Amino acid sequence: MAGSALRRLMAEYKQLTLNPPEGIIAGPINEENFFEWEALITGPEGTCFEGGVFPAKLIFPADYPLSPPKMQFTCEMFHPNIYADGRVCISILHAPGDDPMGYESSAERWSPVQSVEKILLSVVSMLAEPNDESGANVDAAKMWRENREEFNKIAERIVRRTLGIPT
Amino acid sequence: MGDEMKNSTEESTPVNQDELILAQQRQIEKEISESIALVGELEPISSLNREYSNDEVYLEKIKDLSSKYKNIRRTRPDGNCFFRAYSYAGLERLLDKKDEFKTFYKQAEESKNVLVSLGFQQFTVEDFYDTYMEVLKRIGDIVEVDDAKKTLHYLFNEQGYSDYMVVYLRLLTSGQLQKEQDFYSCFIEGHRTVADFCHQEVEPMYKESDHIHIIAACAALNTGVRVVYMDRGNNKSVTEHDFPEGCTPSVHLLYRPGHYDILYP
Repeated sequence: MAGSALRRLMAEYKQLTLNPPEGIIAGPINEENFFEWEALITGPEGTCFEGGVFPAKLIFPADYPLSPPKMQFTCEMFHPNIYADGRVCISILHAPGDDPMGYESSAERWSPVQSVEKILLSVVSMLAEPNDESGANVDAAKMWRENREEFNKIAERIVRRTLGIPT
Repeated sequence: MGDEMKNSTEESTPVNQDELILAQQRQIEKEISESIALVGELEPISSLNREYSNDEVYLEKIKDLSSKYKNIRRTRPDGNCFFRAYSYAGLERLLDKKDEFKTFYKQAEESKNVLVSLGFQQFTVEDFYDTYMEVLKRIGDIVEVDDAKKTLHYLFNEQGYSDYMVVYLRLLTSGQLQKEQDFYSCFIEGHRTVADFCHQEVEPMYKESDHIHIIAACAALNTGVRVVYMDRGNNKSVTEHDFPEGCTPSVHLLYRPGHYDILYP
């Protein structure tokens, strides 16, 4: 099983290196272990996260791609769909039926023909358009809904921190 | 109480109760399901009796079933049972018919290109296709039919091979649905497109199969199936349904609510 997972992860790494999607870099932290990746995601233009470079890690299960990886930001984050400890909570990281947030039935789900690239692109869309109905961070969801100005200020501070600019 | 409060605020990682419950539920389901072989040995139909020893309705129907079929082969109830049973039974039958096997093999060889032309990304399909072809080649290369069947049985009980066979059949089924989406869209409830339906109900592992999956899988593999329904309904006999309608079925499956096993006439 782990042999098939490894082969697939190597193929995905190659694919991402040859055709990197805009604003995303991802790969194994250490080429000895293909089951732990680091990703760098650029905040999407025209959003409050614009300009930030957000590091995250992805942990793959031994039966990948039958089961999805887990993803966690390793920098400070404040976002309705990211837990306070950085774990990302979006539908593509869950198989159908595995429903911690009661996703809409039309939401994109994990299947063996999804990929790391699809996950990272979904995360970029999530940064641009938070889903405030499935709040992993309830405070962030509330502020996003009720006090956008304050939310943007926090986001700006986080962006500056990821760049090492004093806040 | 005070201590509990303190402990929970000291936790560095917030614990999501819903996730914990889901994880526990999955663990229990997994343990039950893993006590049953992916694909079991051949058993007499009468072996069903012990599951329903006090159940007149079922016992009557098992009697009817045993007038039509000699044996049953159970499969693991993990949501993949239709695909696993159908794929196994289809290949097992082809091992007796070398000419048909050759045609089937040729069609399978082409199938990856068909999927890629339908928009599947090559690198996501490749490993499943390679495993599928490896299994077909391994069983096809064995001259003695009984030895080939033993190898088939062995490979379908190796989780790695077995699950990859299931995934590939799910992808072929999805491909078939998308290729003929004008036809299949009439059978999809709600506002989902055929592609959405495939992404959510066909391609993910462990998602159970409905009529629409069966019809598309039969069309994809060009192998008709008779499904024999056995449930708590009032009639004394089991009900049969052929997919596609009017075909001469090559594969026979027993359906009990939520689960498929293989039948042998």
